[in-house]
Amino acid sequence: MRQALVRIGAIVRKEFRHLGRDPRMLLAVVITPVIQLLLFAYAISFDVDHVPTIVIDFDKSPSSQRYLRQYEASPFFEVVARGSSLADVDSAFDHNTARVAIVIPSGFARSLAGSESAQVAVMIDGSEPNAAKVSQAYAVALNQLYGQQLTRDWADAQGMDLSSLGLLEPRIRTWYNPERRSSDFLIPGLMAVIIAIVTVQQTAVTLVRERDLGTQEQLEVSPMRRIELMIGKLLPWTLIAFLDVALITVLGRTLFGVPLRGAAPAFALGAMLFVFASLGMGLLISALAPTLDSANMIALLVAFLPSFLLSGFAFALDQIPVWLQWISYGFPARYMVTIARGVFLKGAGFTELWPEMAALALYALVMLLISAVLYGRRSSR
Amino acid sequence: MTETANPADPAIRASGLRRSFGATPAVADLELEVAAGAVFGLLGPDGAGKSTLIRMLATVLRPDAGDAHVFGHSVISEAGKVTPRIGYMSQKFSMYPDLSVAENMEFFATIRGVSRADRRTRAATLLAGMGLDEFTTRQAQHLSGGMKQKLMLATTLMHEPDLLLLDEPTTGVDPVSRREFWRILAGLHRAGKTVLVATPYMDEAERCTQIAFLDRGQIKQSGTPEQIKARIPGRLVEVAATEPRAALAAVQGVPGVDSAHLLGDVVRVLWSGSAEPESVLRAALAAAGVGGAGTREVAPDMETVFAYLADSSAGSGNLLADPDEAPGTGVSP
Repeated sequence: MRQALVRIGAIVRKEFRHLGRDPRMLLAVVITPVIQLLLFAYAISFDVDHVPTIVIDFDKSPSSQRYLRQYEASPFFEVVARGSSLADVDSAFDHNTARVAIVIPSGFARSLAGSESAQVAVMIDGSEPNAAKVSQAYAVALNQLYGQQLTRDWADAQGMDLSSLGLLEPRIRTWYNPERRSSDFLIPGLMAVIIAIVTVQQTAVTLVRERDLGTQEQLEVSPMRRIELMIGKLLPWTLIAFLDVALITVLGRTLFGVPLRGAAPAFALGAMLFVFASLGMGLLISALAPTLDSANMIALLVAFLPSFLLSGFAFALDQIPVWLQWISYGFPARYMVTIARGVFLKGAGFTELWPEMAALALYALVMLLISAVLYGRRSSR
Repeated sequence: MTETANPADPAIRASGLRRSFGATPAVADLELEVAAGAVFGLLGPDGAGKSTLIRMLATVLRPDAGDAHVFGHSVISEAGKVTPRIGYMSQKFSMYPDLSVAENMEFFATIRGVSRADRRTRAATLLAGMGLDEFTTRQAQHLSGGMKQKLMLATTLMHEPDLLLLDEPTTGVDPVSRREFWRILAGLHRAGKTVLVATPYMDEAERCTQIAFLDRGQIKQSGTPEQIKARIPGRLVEVAATEPRAALAAVQGVPGVDSAHLLGDVVRVLWSGSAEPESVLRAALAAAGVGGAGTREVAPDMETVFAYLADSSAGSGNLLADPDEAPGTGVSP
């Protein structure tokens, strides 16, 4: 037993030496996560506010001006230009100076006064679907509010007391992330992506590399058992994965103010299970891949893409096709994203997240077992 | 070491050993016995099965059939008892290129179970003995070819194995380093270690106590270098001339000449005629007008043996005499 620990220690020390000697690898496991964090949190923002808006008022009446003030007052729209013809809308959209155009036709005030329904054209640049969707929703909401305002004004003018009339007033609130800040949403999910990349990719190549170097045979003529080699190989990456998780948590909290509402231990356990599941996946690839290149490719396919696309990180899982949803259950990333968002944003703990944790634990167990068996078989050829 | 060698056990005894890759047999029903303390040279062309044989003996490759016993332990069922006794050096450089000389030795010795104190003293002794002590902090990838091979040998020796399995340890190494490497092997031989070494170099074969020619997965010839050379039928005559090519042309086809080829600037003639070769050859040279020619009968060496065996490798195993008992000549330092 003591001898086994000495051997595992030797592997761990050696792995850290490899890491220290290879600046690219160090870059990949420590710097890249930080860059990804900054990239996703700053550059790829799903936030929608201060949408540049061009307004064209053909009516030029007090009513139309009052209507437009709604947009000026709203934080979601920023009136950047006033046009005089519809051609200005084309030009503004083409030059990306505006994404929304509000056009008030002449006769707006007359229609309102004549108790017809007045028409306003809201044009939205659909080339950014996410922003377009949100802009549309806000424009509709603004119009409804304005409609109610008009109703009240009319009632006042008629000397009626509307307080006796029940009015339906929708109040929409976004829970857990009231400001809909995408960094709050992305950073917990990003952890799953980064852990997957660091652990799967690195463990996928680690055993293949021993084969390529020919050192595998030297390990085989030693009394070291395969399980010791696996543990020695996994330990450093487990540590590094946790380092990355801690790093992202700290940066997310300090730099981006991501809330941590739930129990940290629940998150730590979830992350640990996910790390093991990912390491198991990496080992499996390592046991199967014939070359270093193919190991890298497979790791990219089964780690990076699913954790990015099929985890709910970038796309909501209930909005992808059903068959893709089923596939997503086969990759551990979706459970991790659920756990991370649950703990960080919803304040969830073990009680709510145990199914995901159980899934991860099962996943890790199966992966490690299969790879242990396969690895054992392959090397005794 | 785990247990002392039973003197009755040979270092290696293999019987019916077979291993194929796909449909191609690399080692086919091979029989081999290597006495403890021997320096056993494994010769043969590329693809003869040398590496496959060594890897099976090292327990890293499973035989399809047959078995081999190393110091009395089966490489199949008792691999755990074999590995502590052997040091295996593969043909390919198999150290971590980014680790230093000292770190590589330290790592492999640690997983081999060598204690910390032993690691320190043995590494110091081995590195000094091999002239590597100035390079302990150098990364393995920045060593010269000869130094890389010495590092691998030193690493292989850290757990003090009784049997060394060396797969072409000097291929691609410069002649000075090769001589140096064999000087170290001679020292190991004197210390009582058994060495099985595959080599493509005939001059190295001369330094072995025992050699075997491997061809298409089977041992075609084995014995001491002297015994093998004695099995060459006929006599060897060297012809030195100012124009070696003309001399070669002149002797080819002379009745009694078995084969003739250039080695450097002398023509080596294998003679199987009944007449006295030197006078016949001198006459032939004079008749062809080749000037300044001298002839000299020499003892056949390994180069001749190898050329002869390559010529007759169509499989005429008729040369085969009993591999045998006479003690080896020892390794020349």
